[in-house]
Amino acid sequence: MIRRFASSPAGNFNVRQSQSPLTLRVWRAKWLYLALLVPVAMLLIFEWLPAFSALYNSLYIWNGGKVHIYVGLEHYERMLTDRTLHVAIRNLIGFVFFRVIMQTVLPFFAAEMIINLRSARWSYWWKIIFVFPMVVPQILNYLIWRFIYNKQVGLLNEGLELIGLEEYTHAWIGDPNTVMWALAFVRFPWLPTLQFLIILGGLQTIPQEVHESAAIDGAGFWRRLFYIDIPMTRRQITLAMILTMLFMTQRFDLFLVMTDGGPGYSSMVPALQLYHSAFKFLEFGYASAIGVVLFVAMLALTIINLRVSAGGAND
Amino acid sequence: MITRKRMRLGNRDLPFQLVLIAFGILTFFPLALVVITSFKSNTQFYHNFWLPELPLHLGNYSSAFRIIWRYIVNSVIYSGSTICLIAVIASVAGYVFARFRFPFKSVIFLGFITLIMVPGVLTLAPRFVLVRDLGMVNTPYALISVWVSGGLVLSTWLMRSYFESLPQELFDAAYVDGAAEWQVFIYVSVPLARPMIATVAMTTLIATWNDLIWPLVTITDKDKMPLALGVMQFSSDFETDWGTLFAGYVISSIPLLCVFAVAMRQFISGLTSGSIKA
Repeated sequence: MIRRFASSPAGNFNVRQSQSPLTLRVWRAKWLYLALLVPVAMLLIFEWLPAFSALYNSLYIWNGGKVHIYVGLEHYERMLTDRTLHVAIRNLIGFVFFRVIMQTVLPFFAAEMIINLRSARWSYWWKIIFVFPMVVPQILNYLIWRFIYNKQVGLLNEGLELIGLEEYTHAWIGDPNTVMWALAFVRFPWLPTLQFLIILGGLQTIPQEVHESAAIDGAGFWRRLFYIDIPMTRRQITLAMILTMLFMTQRFDLFLVMTDGGPGYSSMVPALQLYHSAFKFLEFGYASAIGVVLFVAMLALTIINLRVSAGGAND
Repeated sequence: MITRKRMRLGNRDLPFQLVLIAFGILTFFPLALVVITSFKSNTQFYHNFWLPELPLHLGNYSSAFRIIWRYIVNSVIYSGSTICLIAVIASVAGYVFARFRFPFKSVIFLGFITLIMVPGVLTLAPRFVLVRDLGMVNTPYALISVWVSGGLVLSTWLMRSYFESLPQELFDAAYVDGAAEWQVFIYVSVPLARPMIATVAMTTLIATWNDLIWPLVTITDKDKMPLALGVMQFSSDFETDWGTLFAGYVISSIPLLCVFAVAMRQFISGLTSGSIKA
């Protein structure tokens, strides 16, 4: 007989049974294990195995096939002197920093505006309008922005010409000096849907009375913003920031589609370099080592971020 | 009196409305330009960049459709099967974790949720080798198996917390009526969990629909590409045929547009509830 959580009679039953020998309890739960067999097997094969394979193979020279030579920590040492990787890391730090600010401030600002509308109907429609771009496949954002930055017939350059600023037209993603800035502005000012909805949800939970009493005390829009709305949505803001950070660190499809790291290595990021090492140069060992370092960095950043925001909440 | 009051309220909203409108214009302007250009021939495009121009070149759409439709069908199949599999497996697993006590339960569950911290970029290369060695490269299985296992992590967690939140009396009532465990699951629990299943389906849809990197490394056969990868292929094949290119972009946005139109509320609430709990 399968044991269930139960409030009343079966509760005693549970206690008595938990004293029976382990093998017996395992045997009794055989149907439950069977039900979990498929997901557990899938996670073991497609998630845990590759994760440990990455750790293990970061110590080997490996072409993904027969060549498999133990080199110890050599890949990690190589990272210390890999100039491309250093450029990539510097690019990533700047990019993540910029994007985290942009993708937190913009959604917050828009959500704040929407919350402030008296007209419930309009605030409903604005929500829908800003979520709507979600239907456009991600890849199209990048392709459309490649068109916007296009040197000959790009929207940006055409726009500059239209208002008589021809001298500022530029090969935005073809110039090493501007490429990272151009990429940082991709999708501007589209609201990142997830972060937008998280922050909006946070703002919506602030009780109406708080705003009303603030208004009675004579607090204007800005005072309310800094003394009520931002402090009270701190948790949502932190979550939005962590999400942006994690997405930006590991997603490299933007870079792959728009520039493939070029010109030269001027828009390289570590995740893209990992991709290149594995699938262009067949250095699966080195790629795995980069992956391990990225994983550790992301873990550390998340923990720090959570610590800081938890610490701040105690003030 | 009433009208004056209404006017005053309207004026109070005005600055916010203006900012929002500016936001909206900046957001939608590139999209609008893409739609406008999709009706132009190349000559019209080079000659008149900004404005719509007659005659409309609907031929752009037919030539784009001839290529894009296959990618859309592929994506519907891949994402559809992934969603179905995740819905079934995550419901069962979530139910087992939520409703039963058994040896090693917490260890097994830990094996699920720890994976939330393992980024896809770490496992990308070894996972490719694994899938290649299993002979799944260039087959739908490469995509579906990895998408399902990746999606199971969060979905199982969501399903578990949902089933745990259902009141015990409900289950007791069903047991008293003599329902077997599987009957309770299928006739009581699953129907009640429909909102959460919809959330899981929606998040899975968005994630798989937009995934580019994994198909890029596992699918090389043009006929088997999912939409994201297919559109990238399409964009390099039609690099300078702007009208057709943009017509293809418009067509490839239509499937999710339909989902959005039908399930807008679910779309929005699914995205939020899926993340807040994470």
